[in-house]
Amino acid sequence: MNTAKNKALKQLLWVGMGSIAMFFAGLTSAYIVRKAEGNWVDFILPDWFVYSTIVIVISSLLLIIATQRIKKNKEIFALILSVFLLGGLFTYLQINGWKELTSMGVYLTGAGSNVAGSFLYVLTLSHLVHLAGGLIALFVAAIHVKTKKYNSESFLGLEITAIYWHFLSILWLYLFFFLKYL
Amino acid sequence: MSEHHHKETFITKYIFSQDHKMIAKQFLITGMFMAIIGMLMSAIFRVQLANPGESSILYNLLPGDWINEAGALNPDKYLALVTMHGTILVFWVLTAGLSGTFANFLIPLQIGARDMASGFINMLSYWFFFIATVILISSIYVQGGPASGGWTIYPPLSALPQAIPGSGTGMTLWLISITLFVVGSLLGGLNYIVTILNLRTIGMSMKRLPLTVWALLITAILGVLSFPVLLSCGLLLIFDRSFGTSFYLSDIIINGEMLHNVGGSPILFEHLFWFLGHPEVYIILLPALGIVSEVIAVNSRKPIFGYKAMVGALLLIAFLSFIVWGHHMFMTGMNPFLGSVFTFTTLLIAIPSAVKVFNYLATLWRANIRFTPAMLFAIGTVSAFITGGLTGLILGDSALDINVHDTYFVVGHFHIVMGLSAIYGMFAGVYHWFPKMYGRMMNKNLGYLHFWGTFICAYGVFFPMHFLGLAGLPRRYYTNSAFPMFDGLSDINSIITFFALTGAIIQAIFIFNFIYSLFKGPRATKNPWESTTLEWTTPVERIHGNWPGDLPVVTRWAYDYSKPGASADFIPQDVPLKEGEEEH
Amino acid sequence: MTNTLIILVAILIIAALVQITRVSELLSEIKKQDPNKVTDSNNKTQGILFLVVGGAFLIFVVWQMITWNHLLLPPASSLHGQEIDALMKVSMGLILIVFFALTPLLFYFTYKYRGNKNNKAYFFAHNNKLEVIWTVIPTIILTCLIVYGLRTWERSMNPDLSQAKIIEVYAEQFKWTARESGTDNKLGKANFKLVTDRNALGVDMNDVNSKDDKVIREVHLVVDKPVLLKFRAKDVIHSAFLPHFRVQMNCVPGLSTQFAFTPTQTTAEMKEQEGDDFEFVLLCNKICGAAHYNMQMSFIVETQEEYDAWIASQKVLSEKLLTQK
Repeated sequence: MNTAKNKALKQLLWVGMGSIAMFFAGLTSAYIVRKAEGNWVDFILPDWFVYSTIVIVISSLLLIIATQRIKKNKEIFALILSVFLLGGLFTYLQINGWKELTSMGVYLTGAGSNVAGSFLYVLTLSHLVHLAGGLIALFVAAIHVKTKKYNSESFLGLEITAIYWHFLSILWLYLFFFLKYL
Repeated sequence: MSEHHHKETFITKYIFSQDHKMIAKQFLITGMFMAIIGMLMSAIFRVQLANPGESSILYNLLPGDWINEAGALNPDKYLALVTMHGTILVFWVLTAGLSGTFANFLIPLQIGARDMASGFINMLSYWFFFIATVILISSIYVQGGPASGGWTIYPPLSALPQAIPGSGTGMTLWLISITLFVVGSLLGGLNYIVTILNLRTIGMSMKRLPLTVWALLITAILGVLSFPVLLSCGLLLIFDRSFGTSFYLSDIIINGEMLHNVGGSPILFEHLFWFLGHPEVYIILLPALGIVSEVIAVNSRKPIFGYKAMVGALLLIAFLSFIVWGHHMFMTGMNPFLGSVFTFTTLLIAIPSAVKVFNYLATLWRANIRFTPAMLFAIGTVSAFITGGLTGLILGDSALDINVHDTYFVVGHFHIVMGLSAIYGMFAGVYHWFPKMYGRMMNKNLGYLHFWGTFICAYGVFFPMHFLGLAGLPRRYYTNSAFPMFDGLSDINSIITFFALTGAIIQAIFIFNFIYSLFKGPRATKNPWESTTLEWTTPVERIHGNWPGDLPVVTRWAYDYSKPGASADFIPQDVPLKEGEEEH
Repeated sequence: MTNTLIILVAILIIAALVQITRVSELLSEIKKQDPNKVTDSNNKTQGILFLVVGGAFLIFVVWQMITWNHLLLPPASSLHGQEIDALMKVSMGLILIVFFALTPLLFYFTYKYRGNKNNKAYFFAHNNKLEVIWTVIPTIILTCLIVYGLRTWERSMNPDLSQAKIIEVYAEQFKWTARESGTDNKLGKANFKLVTDRNALGVDMNDVNSKDDKVIREVHLVVDKPVLLKFRAKDVIHSAFLPHFRVQMNCVPGLSTQFAFTPTQTTAEMKEQEGDDFEFVLLCNKICGAAHYNMQMSFIVETQEEYDAWIASQKVLSEKLLTQK
């Protein structure tokens, strides 16, 4: 499992995730610098984002269970499907969060908007776009599980999908606490 | 990723190749093509500067609506030219053309690997770059012209088509293009790092790596950490331009129209931009220095002096490059204390740079120099690095920057470090590795002509610029004839343009040499420069997987030239240690 | 027609080059020589060329310094500017010393150690003592330079503002406007939302401080009296560059920036010194659009009496807004 090729591909993912982290570091730094300049509207984060946080954490836990089970050659299709669906649920909850924000008067742009709102939308949208990549990976992994491509010796695709998915969860946790408390 | 003995079609061999050597050549050819375009642009705007408001035969190269009825270049299109010149040379030529070519070509070969960690991702990195190129070139022909706010694209100028026409469609295409370019660069950088860390052959410890590989590794790390911030910077600009947000825009009345944006800050853009922008110039410089280390060692027939110090200097330069970005922003009204911090860190970066120069000099001391064209350019790199680096000490000092910021003093400085030092490094790399890339030799005498012509003309173009700057002449000026205080500078401008045009024409010698040698150059031997590094142990014909049999096993560092006690004046890295021989 | 000719000439030149190259290669084949092998003779030529061209380069540098010295900006006409000039002299002196030491050394080495089959290179791979020496010495020199530079910066950026006359400079595509703060030395508040054709700077006329503000098209300063320039911009980033005073500051829409200095020479004095067509000028020094190269405003430094006479002749803004059509 830990052949040179597998190790290298996993490292490719790690470096890539480092780059993605720097992208969000740029955005959150901009947020901090801009907030310090004033003219910043504070608002309460809608509960939808709390629910989506819980959902994505659960999805990661399920994925951890799945990677443990595949090492023992157990059935994991239901689990993978659940993670995928939870990913979809996460997206739905995020969109609801945006809807509630607009009903609160917090807009991305336009006459009534404030840069605090703009940042929120840009950060959450950017995360969602990267999550879309994760959903695609999960979809492909689900197909491979169904076609019995993985076994306890070789499940690199699943491993990589899982690492990326956990990264998205941790990234979301960072963004969530950042937006809620900073 | 191990030897793929798949059947090769024309498409998989030349177009969608996953072989790092072919991908390297794709980057090289695209980079050279863009260099010609970027250089033609500079020839055109130099003509405008020497003969302001007059027509010129060179303007026939431009789209029709860039020229007014009198045949003169339109002022906003002058700015379009300098913007595109900067964009093309900084990103397309000196980043993709330099790193893309040599990282792709040399890394697997010099570490003893069959190919990169992922040939597929590598292939993607070129094709993202290719599409970015097509989009950028197409932006030249759109209505309003290409981006015209300087390659640094500060908003509000770059956000508002009303401020300058190029900030319309042209700028949108610029942003799309640069996004694809950055993604391509990142895909490449991932590969370089992972390949170097994982796929070194047996015996190739980090301490035995050629300095070129160290430089390319550190460059790739710089890239994956800093390019994404350019993306976040650009994303917020896209939102401001197309979705009406106010990240960078505030309190604007343009063409009589009051914009709704409130609360934004263009200075935020500058911080984000230069957070990439400064490491970017080291992303450009470090591969050139790495190449030069190699070329100087081989052609001096002695080790590069101070291997560990050289690696340490590269690491220190890379680290410091992340904390100096504010020196591009001294005059933005930043808190003076912040300015002091950036002055401090910027002047510190002079120390590892100086160490590298001294190490190069020590390498040349008591050498037995073989003057291949590559060696000439390597020495040119060192000369330009001394000259250009020293003026950095003036610019990095915030108090002095007050009067030279955005003047021709800056233009002189960055052209000498990038347009001379880094480009010479690229030329050195092409001349040096051409036999390995194409199995043929480039013509030596044409190489000599190319070097001396370029060396003389380039210093002729850029050294006088320091005086223009100290005379107070700002950069990005369509003409200097609007202010009487600059009337005395027109002679200098003419001299610069003369050297610029002559230098541009001299590059034709190189292009000719390159193309001629591709088809008719004498066939090369396996190791024409008698170098110790592993790429010269591969067959001349170049095969997939690089070595026909087993991978070489490395037993020594890369610099056993003129080793005492050795019979030959060089020992390749894969030659086992003799009885009683100690590794350096 | 000219284009066709040029293309034809280019093709002919290329064809000629091809033939020359082929011929030289064939000659080498006949002589059984590798045409691209670097010979000792090549090394000698190139080594000498480095010495000669390198020397010519250095002479060229000195020639430029001598010939173009008179074109450089005259010594600073402000207090902090004189300190900057002193720092510049020291810094330039330092880098010129290093340049004239290292560059000849480089070219001398390339000449002296030009290759020869009878020579052997000296295997000298590292020397820790040398590394320490040439790390520590630059560090010490640079530390001194940094400290000196930071002191000058701090003094330029944090001058005593208590006596400074406040003048606003407003940047837009493609002109400068200024506003005198009047006898109260306070500028009336301004807001871009208040900009109209007649109130081009968007001054809030309800602010009590605006009553004595005067909008002017050229700036007059009193010699030896400190002035605080406050900058605003209307549309894009501009930069106020007053090279003779060693003053530069970005003008950013949505932000206010400032720079304080004390002029030390009158325009009349400078005309005597530099010639009758001398003027202090304000230039734009941040790319701002098509006419970036032509944003000018005059700065005139004069005596207190001359200034008093001039300012008295300028209308207050509130009057201008009423009388202008």
